Order: sequence, then C-alpha cells, then structure tokens
Amino acid sequence: MPETRMLLKNAEDPRLRTLAGYKGYGGYATLERAYREMEADEVLKELEDSGLRGRGGAGFSMGKKASFLPRGEMDKYLCCNADESEPGAFKDRELMQRNPHQLIEGIAIAALAADAGHAFIFIRGEYDSQADVLDAAVAEAYEAGYLGVDILGTRRDLELVVHRGAGAYICGEETALLDALEGKRGNPRLKPPFPAVQGLYGGPTLINNVETLSNVPHIVAHGAEWFRGFGTEQSPGTKVVSVSGRVRRPGNYEVELGIPTRELVYDLAGGPLEGREVKAFYPGGSSSPVLSAEEGLDLPYSFEAMAEAGSMLGSGSVIVADDTVSIPHMALRTARFYHHESCGKCTPCREGTNWTVKTLERVVRGEATPMDLDIVASVQENIMGHCLCVLGDSMAMPVGAMVRKFRDEFEEAITAAEKASRLDAVQGVPETLGAAT
Amino acid sequence: MSREVTIVIDGREVGAVEGEMLHDAAKRGDVEIPVFCYEPKLGDPVGACRMCLVEIEGIPKLQTSCSTPVRDGMVVHTRTDQVKEAQSAVVEFLLVNHPLDCPVCDKGGECPLQDISMGWGPGKSRFTDPKRHFQKPLPLSPLVAIDRERCILCYRCVRFSQEVSEDAQLQLLERGDRTFVGTFDDRPYVAPFHGNITDICPVGALTNYTYRFRARPWDIEEAGSVCTLCPSQCNVSFTIRDEKVKRVIARDNPDVDDGWLCDRGRYGFEMFDATERVRAPRLRGGTATDWETAIAKAAEGLSAAKGAVAALVGDASNEEGYLLQRITREALGSANVDSRVSRGASRESLLHLARPELSAKVRDIDQAEVILIVGSDPMHASPILDLRVRKAMRRKGARLVLATDRPTALDGGAEAISRYAPGGATLFLSELAAALRLNTEGGAAGDCTEALKDAQRVVILWGERIGREGEGALHALLDVAAALDLKANEGSGLLEIPEAANARGLREAGCLPDAGPGLSETGPGMTTEEVRAALESGELSSLLLFGVDPLRDFPDTEGWRRALAAADHIVCFSIFETDSTATADVVLPLETHAEKDGTVTYPDGRLQRVRSSASRPGDIRPNVGVLAELSLALGHDTGVVSQPTAFEALTEAVPFYADITDAEIGGRGIRWQERDGATNLPPVAGGDSRGATSRGVSGEPAPAPGAGSGGAELVLGTYRDLWVGPITELNPPLKFLEPRQTVEMSVADADRAGLKSGDEVLVAQNGSSVRAAVVVRERVQEGVCFLIEGTAEGNANGLLNGAPVSVTVEKAGP
Amino acid sequence: MSPVDGPGIVNPDLPVDPAVTEGRVPDRSPEEVPELHEVGCPAELRERIEELMSRYPDRKSASIPALWAVQRLYGWCTPEGVRQAAAVMRVTPAYLESVASFYDLLHTEPVGAHKVAVCTNISCWMRGGDELLEAFRAAAGGDEDFLVTGFECLGACDIAPMASIDERYFGPLEGAEAQAAIAQLRAGEDVLPEKALEKRPLPGGPDA
Ligand SMILES: Cc1cc2nc3c(=O)[nH]c(=O)nc-3n(C[C@H](O)[C@H](O)[C@H](O)COP(=O)(O)O)c2cc1C
Ligand code: SF4
Ligand code: FES
Repeated sequence: MPETRMLLKNAEDPRLRTLAGYKGYGGYATLERAYREMEADEVLKELEDSGLRGRGGAGFSMGKKASFLPRGEMDKYLCCNADESEPGAFKDRELMQRNPHQLIEGIAIAALAADAGHAFIFIRGEYDSQADVLDAAVAEAYEAGYLGVDILGTRRDLELVVHRGAGAYICGEETALLDALEGKRGNPRLKPPFPAVQGLYGGPTLINNVETLSNVPHIVAHGAEWFRGFGTEQSPGTKVVSVSGRVRRPGNYEVELGIPTRELVYDLAGGPLEGREVKAFYPGGSSSPVLSAEEGLDLPYSFEAMAEAGSMLGSGSVIVADDTVSIPHMALRTARFYHHESCGKCTPCREGTNWTVKTLERVVRGEATPMDLDIVASVQENIMGHCLCVLGDSMAMPVGAMVRKFRDEFEEAITAAEKASRLDAVQGVPETLGAAT
Repeated sequence: MSREVTIVIDGREVGAVEGEMLHDAAKRGDVEIPVFCYEPKLGDPVGACRMCLVEIEGIPKLQTSCSTPVRDGMVVHTRTDQVKEAQSAVVEFLLVNHPLDCPVCDKGGECPLQDISMGWGPGKSRFTDPKRHFQKPLPLSPLVAIDRERCILCYRCVRFSQEVSEDAQLQLLERGDRTFVGTFDDRPYVAPFHGNITDICPVGALTNYTYRFRARPWDIEEAGSVCTLCPSQCNVSFTIRDEKVKRVIARDNPDVDDGWLCDRGRYGFEMFDATERVRAPRLRGGTATDWETAIAKAAEGLSAAKGAVAALVGDASNEEGYLLQRITREALGSANVDSRVSRGASRESLLHLARPELSAKVRDIDQAEVILIVGSDPMHASPILDLRVRKAMRRKGARLVLATDRPTALDGGAEAISRYAPGGATLFLSELAAALRLNTEGGAAGDCTEALKDAQRVVILWGERIGREGEGALHALLDVAAALDLKANEGSGLLEIPEAANARGLREAGCLPDAGPGLSETGPGMTTEEVRAALESGELSSLLLFGVDPLRDFPDTEGWRRALAAADHIVCFSIFETDSTATADVVLPLETHAEKDGTVTYPDGRLQRVRSSASRPGDIRPNVGVLAELSLALGHDTGVVSQPTAFEALTEAVPFYADITDAEIGGRGIRWQERDGATNLPPVAGGDSRGATSRGVSGEPAPAPGAGSGGAELVLGTYRDLWVGPITELNPPLKFLEPRQTVEMSVADADRAGLKSGDEVLVAQNGSSVRAAVVVRERVQEGVCFLIEGTAEGNANGLLNGAPVSVTVEKAGP
Repeated sequence: MSPVDGPGIVNPDLPVDPAVTEGRVPDRSPEEVPELHEVGCPAELRERIEELMSRYPDRKSASIPALWAVQRLYGWCTPEGVRQAAAVMRVTPAYLESVASFYDLLHTEPVGAHKVAVCTNISCWMRGGDELLEAFRAAAGGDEDFLVTGFECLGACDIAPMASIDERYFGPLEGAEAQAAIAQLRAGEDVLPEKALEKRPLPGGPDA
C-alpha cells in the first residue's frame, strides 16, 4: 500500500524549500486567487465544507473554529501551533523543514478567512534549524509581497512572525501558547473565554496546528468536494502519521485517513524488528490510551475508529512497543514526561503526576505492593477531568489504560524486581527490566 | 446592568446577580464552597487550585465555581458523591507536598488549609513517598519569612505582586512541582506593600518575622481600629495579646483601603515600644514629674503669656484638635492655632473645596474614566491610594494623567505626564484650566488637556502641598474643576491627598487660623510660618505643640531653632522624645492610635473611629482627658471629661457633623456628605460659583537654574519619603528602610557635573548645606534635583525657607 | 493530622532573618525596573532587543526572544544579562527570571558552551536512548565545556536514538558515535555529517 501524498508531495525535492521551487510546483497560486478573487466568507465556507479536522490533537473542525471568531473592527490574530512536543510526534517538523511555503500560504489564506491581521508561528525552541528554514521562507514571502502591507495590491495586510519557544511541552496547549506568546510563563488559562473569542492580547484568535494549516491551500485550490474524496466521511483528507518505536522503518508516512492501522505499521513502517512481535501501541501520541495489538492493529486509522476503541487519533503519532518492552517501564517513562512538563499551575496535575512517578518508580524497583497499583489507578481517576487543561488527563489516560490492560505485567514487575534485588544481593548480578535493544 | 437571577444550589433557590461568580452567589446563600486560589481582591479568578469544583446540571465535567459566572436557572450541586470525591482528591493532592507541622506553624489555628482539610479532606493521605524539601524558613525580606515546603502554589502572593502592587518582584520560579515563589537572584522582596502577602497566604508559607512564635490563635484577641500613620487611614485589626499589639492585619473596607495595608501600617506598631517613647510627664532637662504638677506648670506658663501664645497641632484626632482650638481660643484668648506645616488654602477656598458635589469619594476612583493626579506621589503621601489608582487602570481601563515636579511611582502607567519645575503647580493648573476652557491645543499642559478633554468621569487627586505655592494654586485647581464641570458629572470630583494623617478632621474641628469648628468664620490668627516669625521677634512668648516636631518636619530648621529658643515657655505633647521636646518646658506623653479613642476624618469626609486596643505604657493618660484637665487648670471648663463627651461636643460644634453617632460610624465609617447634615456646610461668600474666572497666578515657579562651574546649579525640589521619621528610626523591624539623604538628578545634569549614582555630594544654598548621595534617575527633568524632607541627617528642611530655591551640588570631600 | 513525613516537625527556635535579631542592616535595594544607564547594556544587545520588541503588538511578547539574545551573548541567562534585558524591556529582572526558569532551554545557571541533549523519551528509550546518554556522558567526561543532559522527546523519534548537538539533530546514533561527536566538537570539526537529520530522505522514498 503506497502513501497518498498531498502535503508531502514533492517533498524529496530540496528546492521546494525556496520560493522559486515552491512556485515551480504551482505554489502561491491559491493565495493569489484567494486574495484577489475571494471573499473571506467564501474561503471560510470552503474550509467548513471540507470537514478538515484539526491535526494538533483534539480533531476539532477547523472551519467551524474559524467561524467562531467574531467579525468586526477589533484586532484579530492567527497562531500556528508548531510546538510539536508530544512524545511520538514529528510530522510538523517534516512539513516545516521540507515545505515551509505551503504552511505560509496556508496561514495567509486562513488569516484571510479569519480576518486576522497578525499571525504568529509558535515553534518549539528545539526546532532551531526548522525555525531557520521558516525565517528564510517568511523573508522570501515578504519580499515577494505575499506577506506584509497591502498584499498583492489587495489592501489586505498580514504580519507574520516566527516566534521560537524555549522548551516547554505545555506551550503546545493553545492557551498556554498564548501566554507564552505574550511573553509570560506558558501557563494555560481558564476556558471560557475560548481563544476564538478572547485570545492573544485579548483579541479573537484562531489557533491551528501546522498540518491543519498546511492543508488549507489544497482545500481552497481544489474545493471541499475534492478534499472529501480522501479519507472517511468523518475524517476527510490525508494524515501525515509519525510512526516510531520498535519498527523497522520509523518515519513520517502520509496516508488517507481510514486505512487499516496494520498497513501503517507493517507495510509502510516495515513491522516489528527481526523476530519480534507487536505487543501494544499508542495510536495518537503519548497522550492516547495504549491499545494492545489485538485491540488496535485492525482498526481503521481514523478519528472515529480510535475514539470508539476508547483511545484517540490525537496528533497521529503511532508508537509501537514490541514484546521486549516492559509496560510498567513504559508507563513510568510516560508519567515522567508529564511530570516534567506539568506547568504546576493546577493541583491535580502538579501533584498527581509527581505521585504517579514516585509510585511507578517503586513499582519498577520492586518496592511496591499490589495496593500501590490500586492507588496509581485511583490517582489517575482523581486527575481525570479535574485539571485546568488536559495535560493531566494526557498522563492519566495512557497510564490508567496501561495499569488496567496490563495489570499482570505490573504485578510481575513488582515480584520480579523483588526477586532480582534478592538475587542481586546474593550474586551481585544486575538485571535489566527495560527494553532490550 | 446587573440582573437579579435565581439559581438552585443543593436543591435550594438562591438569589444571585447575573454574571457574578458561582462561589460568591453560593456564599451569600450560605453554601460554603472551599477555595484556595480564589480571592476577588486579586483580580480575575485563575482556577488553579481546583478546590472549588462543583457539579452543574447540563455540563458533564465538574466546574470551578470560582470562575463560573452565574446564569439564571443554573442548577448546582456541591455535595454529591462526585463533587465530594473530587474535593477530597484535591485536598489529598495538596497534602502530597505539604508538611504536617501544624503544631509549630504560625498559621496553625487560623489556617484555611487546615480547616478545609478537616471539612473536605479524605482524613488520611495515601501518599507515603518523601515530600519535596526546601531550605526553610528563609528570609524573603527582612520582614517576611518564606517556608517553601508549606507553599501550596495557590498563586495568591505572586498575583498580588503582579496585579495589585504591580511591583513584579515576587515571581514563580521553575516549573511543575519544582515551582517555588521567589525573587530575582534571591534579592530581598522590598516593596512598600509586601506585607499583604502574609495576610493572603492560605497556609503558613509566608509569615511575619515580627509575629513568629509571638502568639497562638487561642490567646489573642482581634481589635478593629483605624491606622493613623498616614492620611490613608486604612482599617486595621490589631492582634492583641497581654494588652499589647502583636500584629496588624487588614480589615477590608472597600470605601477606604480595599483590604490592603502598606508596610508602614502593618509593621509600624513596634515603634510604640521604643525607649524614646515619652512614658510620663516631665519638665525641662528631663526632670520627671507627676501629672498634676505637669499640668499646673503647663497652664502657668501658657497663661503667663497673656494671649501671646500659639498652638500647633499635627497628629491628633478630631476631638483632640477640637479641644486644642478651644483651649487656645477660649482659655488662652488667642486666635493662633494651625494644623498645617505651611500656608495652605484660605477658609474661602476650603469651603469651595468642601462642597459635597465637588468632592469625590474613594470608590469614585474605581469607576473613573480619567484620574488626574496633581502635586503628589500617592506612593509616598497616601500609599493605599497608589494601589487604588493601579486597580482602576488595570481593571477598568481608567486613564491616568500626572502632573508633578518629581517622578512618581505611577509614571509607568500614565497616559500623559506634565513634569513642572518645583513650585510650578499653579502655572500648570492655570494653563490646563485655560486650555480646557478655550479648547486650545498644545501648550505646557498639552497632552494632559488632550487626555482630559472629553472625559465624563474625572477624579482629581490633588496634593495639599500645592497650597504651599499660595492661594493661587487652589484657585487654579478650582478653575480646572469648573472647566471640567466636575460638579455636574456623577462620579467626578476632587479628592485631596493631605500632608498629615487627619488633616481634614483637624481643619473641620477648627484647627485653622482663619476658621473655627465647622469651618466657621473666626478672627484671623497666625499661620505656622507666622508663628515662627512672631516667636523670633518676641511678638509671641509661649507655644503649645501637640504631635508636631517643628525642628524635624517644618521648613527652615534654623529659623525654628531660633524661634523655639526665643520662646519663654513651651508645652509639648509628644509620643516620642524629639529635638523639639528637648526645647520644651513641659513634655506630656501622647497615646498612639493603638491606644487612643477618638474619631478621624478621611480626606473624602468619612468619619472613622479609632478604638483603644492596647494598654498605655508607663504613666500615659488618655489624651482627651488630659486636654480637658489642662483647660480646667487654665480656668475654663470645656464640659468635656472623656471621649464620648468630647465627641458629642465636636458634633455639636461642627454643624455638618450634627447628630452623627458612634453607631452610625460603626466599623466602616460614614461620610458626612451623605447625611442630611451636609446642608449645614456654611455657604461660600459670593455664591457658589467660584472658579468662573481665574484670579491670576500667584505661584512662584522655580527660578531658572544658572550654569554651574564644577558641579551643578539646580533648582531644588523636596518631598517627604514614605519611610522618614520614627517609623524607621525607632522601629527595629523597619530600621533597614531608614532613608539616608539622597539627591536625585537627571542623567544629563549628572553627566555634565561628572557625577554618578552613589557619589557623595554637598547640596548647598546660601551658606547652608546638606550631605547626600547622588541618585541618577532617567525620569528626573534636567535642571532640577530632589532632596528628602525630614531625614535624621541632612534634612532638606534645613535648606528650605518657603520659596523654591536654587542649589549647588558639588562632590563632597571624603 | 499526624505527620507522615517522619520528623517533619521543625524546631521552634527557627532562625529568623539575622537582620532582625542581630541588628545587621539587611539589603534594602529592591529589584525594580533597572534604568538603562545603570546596567551597562552592550549596544548590540539593546538594539537587538528593541528590534525584537518592535515585532509585536505588545513589547512584553519579546521576553523569550530577548532571553535567547542574552543567552546567545553570555552563554546563559546571567543576572547581569537579565538586568540588561529588563532595562531595555522596562520590566523587572524578576519577571524575566521567572520566564527564563520556566523553560528548559533557557539556563539560569552557568552551563557548558556545547549543549548535547539526548532524548530519553519513550521512542528513543525503546531504542537505546538511556545507553546513548551514558555514552555521551562518558565521552564528555565531566568536561565543563559540555552540557550533556537527558531530554524529553525532541520530535525526532524517526531517528531514535538521537541527540540534539548544539541545536542540530543527529541520529540514529551508536555509543561510539557519541565519542566521535564529542571529539569533533572539541576539534571544532563538523559533527557526524552523515547522521544529520537534514540529510535524511523520506522513509517512504520519492513520490510514487
Ligand atoms: C498539553 C497539550 C499539548 C499540546 N501540544 C500541541 C502541539 O504541540 N501542537 C499542536 O498543534 N497542538 C497541541 N495541542 C493541542 C492544542 O491545544 C490545540 O488544540 C491545537 O493546536 C489546535 O489546532 P488544531 O485544531 O489545528 O489541531 C496540545 C494540547 C495540550 C493539552
Ligand atoms: S506562598 Fe502562600 S500565597 Fe504564595 S503561592 Fe505559596 S501558598 Fe500561595
Ligand atoms: S478556588 Fe476555584 S480553582 Fe482555586
């Protein structure tokens, strides 16, 4: 099964990064048409009709979100979320690195639809070389009159600033991103008010993911109908899926939404390493509840199928664990990440991630009791739905799922470690419980 | 506007105002929802602690009641299993990192976390791993200790620093559960309002060094009173143990202080124990004596002057002021009584300024469209107003227009600033009035005019100090008020920032040379300045000082020294021994505001009650009784024997205070303008229309500075720093804030004179000089420099003799 | 309530601020917004920050970029650098320090000039990230010129196990390559040219 490349089309061509190269493949023609010939509402309608769902995690309809922005004189903003810090996700990196102008064109057209005069790309600080690529592309786009004052003589303005973050996963959460962009610590805000109503600098703000916005030129170029020709009814279009973990060919694959997950993991990513088999996987980044191989491999890779299976498509990042991977260790890695990244603003997340890590550390050290497993499970429940943003839930969901689905392994870990430490004491032989490489 | 709605909480109908937060609506309906981070005084809710989760029908997830606005018909559950589990979970999470050292914690017994854990917690924590550790407790400032282990990261203290005092010094550092509250580079948190964080911290993380281990909740009493250490007159509660003040905390009164205190008010009380306190009557040279002898001697000396006597009043209650002016006028037969440092508004101007329709109340600041501040830096003169102005700007978008000689703490947020030369307020106000009336553009008041032009609700905060320039300043002020039609606009008005804590009350009680009680007309007496001259010339021979220290606080120190030396007889009532008490023949002790009973009048006309809360040390007697006895000794019965009779006499004498009762004043005070008695304010001679035309400018703007050779020649401006005086000098906890003399000058002038911050210089004028350290400030205008009045060393009052002066600034020898 | 934290009960004779008990004069200088003439801000830093501030509708938005500029100039966010930035931005140094300390990439303590961040998150851990981190640590051998840290997911699980070396990505790496990379950094040479992420083709190859 080959890929269906829309966003990654021609991406192997290094010239695509430059304005000339991008225009060579027909780039910016849609922007010109939209700015010269289309009204904001027409663009908006096209986006709504396309059914494009956000690619950043929540899967909310992009057109609908844009339509929530009030109309009127006030300053409005567009923020492109390029924070991409969820473990397992690396698709936005690829899109920005290989095709920055596609994103810029998408931002400009979306800004037209949302009537935003200022746009920002909030890119994670670690993506330094990708930010350099964007800086160069933005400069070219200004030079060519696709950005700035009076774009293409249409009297429409758009300022676009590439804003580098400085290392905090929470800044990907849309309201934390706004705080960070306003120069504060990246703490999430209370919602409501939602950013569409009161966002950056208090003005209406549209926030979308890199991949979501990269889809925009294609939809406006070919129409919503054409776009709906890809994917499923509820998940139209293609998806750049980051596949990683214990597979032979990890990487980004662009596929139509709804293909069987097995094809992604086996046909495209090459399946498990020599002599190994898939045990479980995160279907949508580290925040999605893990599915066992039996549960998940034959599901269609779509928003709706993953939701129905009690997980989610999220950012579209598949992390594969094979039979060498210890689930308790994986749970600990997951928890550690969220503990490290919790902003600390709300109690359940700040203290719950800490508590979870401490307990899981004892589990893998063999210093826990089965009762601790009950406590971990209950802590996850006490976090869920009680936090200010969903970072807390993003740990509670996968960790809760792991404890629930692989309880045996946790109990084994407790006893095995106990045994090991006893052996250790007698023979001084260390034993690895983590993944064998 | 706000609509009354009905919501259902736990099956009961509760009335609420649409849009208010659910937590507040529930509270009024007697349903308690526990909170930690929520504190409306700090601004918008942050929803951080998650303690206040409740169930709202129709919304699947639990919602934080602190941040959910009420809608009509909302059905809320606060005690369902789901809610109880969530709340208990949050408590359990909060205790994960909270040490259980309640028995030795200063907050124990009055700790919200303790109370909420008992009421909503799981009873027992399942967390058994080690808690986070911090070095503790550490000094966050010389006054506040921080115990970071106890902190529950509720954000209150840092929000105070960001959004209330806006000093932005206290911050959260690091992230996640490593987050802690701290400052830049571990520097001390030194800011004039920082003590408030100890009031709002819901745990024992932030505690006062002055209160550490001093008392436990069960052996203290709280006594509500009013702080009279500055004109802000904040409402306070004294924490009393063994009849002594152990702590001062805020007592929220939105009409006065909004529930905040400055550090003067909070930590100032420790000075009342200073060894310098006058604890018993004494005679010249320190001879102790008993009250009877002291009063007899005082009376003897005062009557010997046969009317060639004057009384100067500073820090006093309304009743004390009232009695003093009666003693002067009735028992001593002299019209010479004054309560002002320097010349100020005439009776006529005062009557204009006192018109109820022209006066703004504190709450008007909150709703103002434009706030104009003239001739005062609230930060130094009436600190709590600084917070009030910030609040109006931050929350309601009020615009600020500033006109002062010296840079102020509020400069950063101002829309327009007019920086006039010292002595230039009159000129500024006249130009502003003219520009507003003629609708001209540009000119010296240009930007200010622009900002004020079309505003509806304008509140003008004006410093009493501008009166030092002469009557013209007040005329010009009234002209501006007329040009803006403040009388007609609801919510607009003037609010004075006086120089003394109870300035308004003393004036209304009759402590003015040209006005008796109720601003009634009386024969002209001498002003403070005239008293000095008359003492020196021998025209006056005897002097009564009550709560003032001329040698420290009045301009022209040398002149006063000569005047006091020339006097035959000086009676000095004072809290502390001062340079002035050293010159007195009889020294009588005064009660402090923690000890005395009495009323004071806030600058917006609000009568407030100071209640005796602590015992009087030594052989101190109630001030009012002592004054009554002094009067008797002078052969005049005032009919007053104690505070209640004094208050009664006061309200009888001041027509617009008529019939005010103690009960009416209660714990919140009452503005006389809002009572029927307000119509008893004497009419203004020549009708009510002052301000139609300016009477011309009589202020004396600063002379132009000459070009200096070696050093700089600059115009001197002076100001009273928040921290000068006994408050820091005699008060160990605040000692570190004692200002030493500094001369502030512009970058350009400093460069020209080859000076930099920290250089020691001599600031000289006409033969006298003071030593000071240079502080270079960007916002000081060229050609001007500033010194502090009232410092222990190098007091700027030594250089002042009324008019603005030109000084030279030169490097001092080592 | 009973103490679960062992001997958490503190000594009632807690030290108070020495200034209060010993009569020493404590520091009274608050950290207000510093004035430019006090901080000795290099002209190029000031101009850079002013340029950054001009990009945004609100100058405070430039706080992270300004801190990056400070870090580029001084190697880390030194207190002096933070004060300089604060003076230019007209905010308190505390405000900027608070922001800086929130973010993993901004350093409020001195660090080595070369920064090696090894991903130890899920995907890299599954493919030897921990071992790679150890290898880098061993190779750097405590040399203060290097800051070697384990890092959360860097967004390059396709090249697991990977490292970000002076802000450029490399992977998949073997332990031996850690040695080589450190040596190349020391010698000022190009680092692991053949393992640079930029050179990597799409895993699915060219368009079909
Ligand atoms: C903790 C957290 C981290 C997130 N990180 C990202 C991210 O790195 N990139 C992203 O696009 N969305 C991220 N999101 C989702 C955003 O909040 C937001 O939903 C998204 O940017 C909206 O764009 P979309 O509708 O185009 O998906 C994150 C959400 C949470 C709660
Ligand atoms: S110190 Fe107190 S007020 Fe400040 S965050 Fe901690 S608990 Fe809240
Ligand atoms: S009180 Fe509502 S979240 Fe803290």
